[in-house]
Amino acid sequence: MIWKRQIPILIVAFIGALTLFGWFVEEPNIKAFVDDDATQWYDILASFAIILGAMNLMKMQIQKVARQKKGWPYSIVAIFGFLFAITAGFFIKGVDDSVAVWGAHVTTEGTLFKWIFDYMFTPLSATMFSLLAFFVASASYRAFRIRNFEASLLLVAGIIIMVGRVPIGSLISSWVIMYIIVLALGIGVNTWKKDKKITFGVVGVGIIIVTVAGMMTGWPLDKPAIFYLPIIQEWIYYYPNVAGTRAIMIGVGLGIFATSIRYILGIEKSYIGE
Amino acid sequence: MKDKQFWIVLSGLIVAFLIFWFAGQPMFNEDRVVMFITIVAISATLLYNIRMAKRGETFYLRPIPGLKAIEEAVGRSTEMGKPVLYVPGIMDMDQVETVAGVIVLGHVARMTARYETSLNVPVSRSIVMKAAREVCRESYMMEGRPDMFNDDMVHYLTDDQFAYAAGVNGIMIREKPAACLYMGKFYAESLILAETGNSIGAIQIAGTASQAQIPFFVTACDYTLIGEEFFAASAYLSQKPELIGGVRGQDMVKVAVISVIILATLLRFIYETWGVGFDAIKLLTVQ
Repeated sequence: MIWKRQIPILIVAFIGALTLFGWFVEEPNIKAFVDDDATQWYDILASFAIILGAMNLMKMQIQKVARQKKGWPYSIVAIFGFLFAITAGFFIKGVDDSVAVWGAHVTTEGTLFKWIFDYMFTPLSATMFSLLAFFVASASYRAFRIRNFEASLLLVAGIIIMVGRVPIGSLISSWVIMYIIVLALGIGVNTWKKDKKITFGVVGVGIIIVTVAGMMTGWPLDKPAIFYLPIIQEWIYYYPNVAGTRAIMIGVGLGIFATSIRYILGIEKSYIGE
Repeated sequence: MKDKQFWIVLSGLIVAFLIFWFAGQPMFNEDRVVMFITIVAISATLLYNIRMAKRGETFYLRPIPGLKAIEEAVGRSTEMGKPVLYVPGIMDMDQVETVAGVIVLGHVARMTARYETSLNVPVSRSIVMKAAREVCRESYMMEGRPDMFNDDMVHYLTDDQFAYAAGVNGIMIREKPAACLYMGKFYAESLILAETGNSIGAIQIAGTASQAQIPFFVTACDYTLIGEEFFAASAYLSQKPELIGGVRGQDMVKVAVISVIILATLLRFIYETWGVGFDAIKLLTVQ
């Protein structure tokens, strides 16, 4: 029991405390351990552990084919791909030693491994990544549907950011935005009062004020700056957006710190199954 | 740790630190003293609240819909006779989000054991596979259902980001799980996974501290645990006093952080405008 409970907790507590407080100590050996050695140890462990993962993958796929479970033909592709990559990585280079020695062959042009990487792996990865564009479109459609006040706010902010960040956004005069705001105000007043005369009055007065102000100032494209799209998008991006992001960051930072302290002090023991 | 032991250990640490300090604090990086004091203060606050909770003091925890929904999701899977899919992110155990994801997996595994629902955990790192297996095994044993556990419920797919996304998508499309839980560190694959889960009509709950992925999860999932909610999940789900005390400590630290932000802003304003006082930002900047 001591090997499965107390010893792991002790190792976590010691290494955790050393890593945390090592940051405050000017001792080259501790610094080297915290900055380099510890992460390298982890990388070495992870490299050995990959064998476990690979064996598990093969076991699962072979079982699937043997029992002819749903989608088993895909497992044949997986097994074939695995064996092909192993062969290209360890047994067949496809070129002479004068072109590439073992090890360097994974990045050398003309080798079988590089061929797999360039013509199979990269296109497949790119295909999956490209799917993201379609998923972004469907997710945006759902997010931007006007259901409530928050969704409407998101929609408006999204449009302002998108239009304000492209060249055409800087060609839209702030006076056009002011007219749009007057019309939006009319919608709001109409929803609230449900009276055509009041709505007409508000919209009419608004349009007159904007028109007169525009004629008096000579319709400058970017004035008043508060209604100029690039300025509005910049404000949204650097103020409400950053404020929200930082609030989440502070929460995340505290969460990470509290979780780490719970581990170092042995309060959280879920990782050993307690 | 009992009270007496606690105070002996704490006194010992304080005495050792005082000796170290008055001996001229050899090797101590004095540029980081503010950070050091902050860490000690935060740790003390957390410890204080943990001990208070252990002594029996009850704390109110704001209900988090996403955590309540986990049990509903497992229940839904049970009713539909379909599996629960749990994705612990694509990073290794050196990331605290993955660790938090594996901890939540333990609670989910207990629920699936209780409801006799099958659990499917595809992972992208071998070490995560081993850790997740151990956690699931213990959960099934604690629920008195070791017979229901099998190693293959936690299985490795691949280390590669998009290959992993393709593998998990394949599982979703073939097995049509009734509940998909995404808890861990995610990158661009988050939306690919969540949208596929959405398309099969699964109830989806996500938890991550990856800022760039939170909007995607909010859009595509039914519930999302944002940032600190995700790290507090273990406390909420286990209802262990020492963990709940930690969450309360976290909230107290948050209040202190907000106060420091306001105070630093005021001090900075006074310093910039009238040249009175000191540059608070310089003091608080991590060296």
